[in-house]
Amino acid sequence: MIPRFSLARPRSLTEAFEAFDATGGDAAWLAGGTELLQVMKMGLAQFGTLIDIKALPELRGLDRTADGSVRIGALTTHRELERSAVIAEELPGLARLEAQVANVRVRNTGTIGGNLAFAEPHSDPATFFLACDAVVSLASARGRREMGVDEFVQGPLFTARDQDELVVDIIVPPPARATGRGYDKIAFFERPAASVAVRLAVTDGAIGDATVAVGSLTEVPTLVPRASAALRGTEARPETLSTALRSAVDAFGELDVVADLNGSADYKRHLAGILLGRAAERALTEALARA
Amino acid sequence: MHETVDLTFDVNGTERTVQVEPRETLADVLRERLALTGTKVSCDAQVCGACTVLVDDLAVSACTYLAVDADGRRVRTVEGLATDGRLDRLQQAFIDHAGFQCGFCTPGMLMAATALLEDDPQPGRDAVIHGLEGNLCRCTGYAHIVDAVLAAADRPATTDRPGAMDRSASADDAGPAA
Repeated sequence: MIPRFSLARPRSLTEAFEAFDATGGDAAWLAGGTELLQVMKMGLAQFGTLIDIKALPELRGLDRTADGSVRIGALTTHRELERSAVIAEELPGLARLEAQVANVRVRNTGTIGGNLAFAEPHSDPATFFLACDAVVSLASARGRREMGVDEFVQGPLFTARDQDELVVDIIVPPPARATGRGYDKIAFFERPAASVAVRLAVTDGAIGDATVAVGSLTEVPTLVPRASAALRGTEARPETLSTALRSAVDAFGELDVVADLNGSADYKRHLAGILLGRAAERALTEALARA
Repeated sequence: MHETVDLTFDVNGTERTVQVEPRETLADVLRERLALTGTKVSCDAQVCGACTVLVDDLAVSACTYLAVDADGRRVRTVEGLATDGRLDRLQQAFIDHAGFQCGFCTPGMLMAATALLEDDPQPGRDAVIHGLEGNLCRCTGYAHIVDAVLAAADRPATTDRPGAMDRSASADDAGPAA
């Protein structure tokens, strides 16, 4: 059973911060509960009060902003991302990713803000957002701040978020022209065993900018600059990618890969190499379609 | 006294009010307070799908869904599928296609498939498999379960399954797991 707790149900950010303050800090934010209730049930965490944030309008919304960014409110569920017309158009790779997160019940209740704030090392969206240069926006009674995903996720199950802070939204900045963002994973259990996200921009028939991020390999989602560099300058055709991909995969050798239930470090590195090829191909196809 | 909250919600078409502790899950309240034991708890970790119920038409894991979050909402459980003792189309299809063996996963399978068919009334085999991949059957009767859902959706159940046999003509008990 879940240990006893009191429930607060604020209707605005201001009320939420007041509710937190009233608990003296013995509180956690409750959204979809797919992670929080699970760890409480397992006896790994206990809080005197859970503050239900599902009614906070400030954390809702999924839209394009004036500068072409996509703003994803923290309460957006995986299922809403999977089904969103805005995401299908702007970030089709994210829509595909979300359709494969855990199972439909988790997707119906679990939120994107909760997913990032929990910082489970085997998270799909964090890896994708890292490759997209996405910004996490936080709020507390002390004010607002923003940071990149790499700064936000500090370790397994550990983020830069203070306990009284809420994730408000995630902003995916507008890409350069002819950009594609691809992702692929392999999962043997509910969470990915290995995943790779690739962002590519095509300029004058060649890959200009490139960003490669890996997930579930290392303790936190990680950018791999040498893999990114290996892809830059390559002729932007699927057939010519393979040589560049081979040297990009070599860069995975430098990663401090964690062996776990999914397999040994070498095996996971091998999986990531295959996923890199697939993610890069998806990114390139999308980039060429937008050229 | 422990803190309690008044929970008023629609359960299978009837309004119910229950005083619950915030920590009680929807599965707890359905099973222990309302005696609706059709909803099963197995893994208790949102993995197996045995506790699948519908909240406002969306499938959720009742084992990890706070009952208070169902306040003001419409909850449907396996007990709500039959009408006046008559099985609904999906339940009948599970019988016709041998869609269960021990039956423990069946309430969750039925509710997950109900949500799936309401969302997509004519799914292909792949869509059914994808939609049910979060529901585990320890007896591994997946192929028959998928056949049953396709039959309930008015799709030919066996034509697009590689190696499938027509059950009316021949027993097919060695069907592979989907």
